[in-house]
This record gives sequence, C-alpha cells and structure tokens, in this order.
Amino acid sequence: MALSSLKLRMGRTLLTLLTVAACCAFLLFLLTAPISDDPAERQMWGLMITLSLLVSVAGVLNTMLMSVTQRYREIGTIKCLGALDSFVMLSVMLESALLGLTGAVFGIIGGLVLSTLVGLLEAGAGVFAAAYWTGLWWKVIVAALVGLGLTTLGAAFPAAVAARMPPVEAMRGEK
Amino acid sequence: MSADILIDAEDVQRYYQSGTTVVKALDGITLAIRLGEYLSLMGPSGSGKTTFFNIIGALDVPTGGSVKLGSRELSSLSTAELSYLRCANIGYIFQNYNLVEVFSALRNVTLPMRFLGLTEAEANDKAAKLLERVGLGHRMDHLPGELSGGQQQRVAIARALANDPMLVLADEPTGNLDTNTATSIVELLSELSREKGVTIVSATHDHRMLSVSDRVVYLRDGKVERILNRDELKISVGSIGS
Repeated sequence: MALSSLKLRMGRTLLTLLTVAACCAFLLFLLTAPISDDPAERQMWGLMITLSLLVSVAGVLNTMLMSVTQRYREIGTIKCLGALDSFVMLSVMLESALLGLTGAVFGIIGGLVLSTLVGLLEAGAGVFAAAYWTGLWWKVIVAALVGLGLTTLGAAFPAAVAARMPPVEAMRGEK
Repeated sequence: MSADILIDAEDVQRYYQSGTTVVKALDGITLAIRLGEYLSLMGPSGSGKTTFFNIIGALDVPTGGSVKLGSRELSSLSTAELSYLRCANIGYIFQNYNLVEVFSALRNVTLPMRFLGLTEAEANDKAAKLLERVGLGHRMDHLPGELSGGQQQRVAIARALANDPMLVLADEPTGNLDTNTATSIVELLSELSREKGVTIVSATHDHRMLSVSDRVVYLRDGKVERILNRDELKISVGSIGS
C-alpha cells in the first residue's frame, strides 16, 4: 500500500524526495569538505553546518507536515471503512520511511558527486587519494540517518494527530 | 427495545461551541429505525441531517443522549471496537464519493474487506462481483479520476456493500450528480436494499429518494419536525408534498 501510494502521488512524492535528497547531499558535502586547522575557520564551518542543518530540518519537516495534512480526508475515509489508528499511523510512517531512504540514497550520491567536483577544483587529482575520504562511511551513515530520521519525524506528529482524529473531523480535513 | 429495531436514538444532542454561542446541531432527536427499512432524512441545509448521519454511523459522538446499534450502545465502545463496528456492520456512501484517489475501483472496494481480514484473492473475487452488480465490471481497474461522477458513486455503493453490512448510510448520494445519473443511483440503491435486505438511511435533499423510502423523517433546527410513512406521502407529477 505504501509503495503504490508513493508511486501514484508522484508529484508530491518527487517534491518531498527532492527536499530530503538536497538536505542529505548538502550535509554530506559539508561533512566531507576539507577543513583547515585554523580555529576561526573551523568555528565558521561548524556554524555553517549547524545553520544549514536547521534550514534543512525546517524544510523537510514542513514538506512532510504538508504531505500528511493534505491527506487528512483520505485518512478519515479509510478510518471510516474500518482502519485502526495503528494501521493509519503505521502506513504513513512506512511511506515516509521509504521516501526518506530513497531521498537519502539520491542525496548521498549527489553529495559525493558535489564533493568530488569541489575536491577536483581544490586538490586536483589528490581527490582520488584514499586519504582525502577519511571517515567517509560514517559520514554517509550520518547523512542517511538524518534523511531517514527527518522524514519519519516530520510525518510522526501529523500522522499521530490524523490517526487519533474522529473520522468525521479527518474527512473534513480539520486539525 | 423491539427485536426488529436496528438503530435506537434517544434524545440525541450535538452541540458545537462557536465563539461565545452554542450551536445546537441536534437538539434532542429520538428515532427508532427498523431492520430492512429504507429511511430518508429530509430537511433544509443546517437542519442536522449530516450530523445525525455521522452520529448513527459511529463517525462522531453526541454531546448528550444515546445511540444503540442493535444491542450495542455506541458510547460504550472503545475506538478499536468502533472501527470494527464500522467495518463489519456499516457501509457509507458520501456526496463526494470519498474514494481513495490512488487506488483502482477494485482496490477501493476491497479495502473494507481487507480490514475485516479477507485474503487478497477472496476480496478481489467479491469486489469484482460487486462491481459487476453495479454495472462497472468493465472499469474495475480504472482510478477514480478516470471515472465519471455517477461511476464513482457506483464504486462507492459497491464499497459500502463490501462486508455485507446491516446498515448503509448515504449522505446526499445524488447531490453531485446530473438528473439521469441521480435517478439511476436512486434505483440502484432501492434494488440493492430489496435484494440484500439491508437497512438504508439516506440524508437527502432529493425528492426522487422519497419514492423509494419506507419512511421520511423531516428535520428542522436539529429536531424531528415530522415523520411520514410511504403511504402518507403525496407524490404527484412535478411536485411532491405531504
């Protein structure tokens, strides 16, 4: 159900996917970028990562919130047909997790490509040396977890609200 | 309560707070609906038809009074029990069809059956028969957006009958349809009511629904204004009155 819903809601799905992918790509790019030993520059870099993450978090949460609230009427209908609150919650969370994971994969690929291109400009052929990519795996895992976490977290609140709503209110699309 | 009473609503109230004023959507409705009956709820907009529909359909809770479906008092049921009750015993038909837009006609009809625990094969088989019965055997793989309003309402009727409910609630089922399509939907509901012996309660503005109703309950300002049996309705060409 979650997969077919994602496929058929292609427009909205792509928008959410793009937001998550952009967030993951940017995070991975920042994490893999070479940082100088200058404390002032390191501090500036840290601040930039934090601010970028906050903007990405707000973007993804907003997209997920919009995505779920726009479906209140449909959620109300399936509750009316006998869906349990737990089913509503589970199907929305599963759909969000699938979306988050897919977005994270695209984001990681995008982030790696971006980092390689910037690395080529800054370090030339040195970007292909293993030393350039120290700790890449944990950075990829962090980016993937952030993408997955943000989408499920963003969907959890509106999904819980919709799941607990009386069907008639959900069908009216009220909060 | 008599054995042939399916719904027993006693002094049902539904109040809403709107700013500093209290809106009395339902103001003490007492009504017993018999098994197998075709009952129409008539009344102007704001008379409480939809609110009463939602309350007897376990979709909303009353502010006061009680509603029994069979022997079960709805207010005493848990959320999960209400979900089961809606799934197994009640079919819903809405003015706006309320089909799941990303599912085919067939999948929309199988949905309540899957919630009740039927396997995919069992549900598909039964849904296909129901769609054939409502005249949509050739369009079961189409999405709601690819169907006309009348066809979507037929899918909704098939879905309402999916779990062989004892009660079908239809809220303005012909409200969004043209005259010919509306007439065919009224006839279909009437046929299915007779065929399956299901109780149908329809909230409507449509006078065509009167000709198939066993009783008509007129609501006004959240109260029962009058109740007419079929033989008390004066139906004449061009006008229907009491």
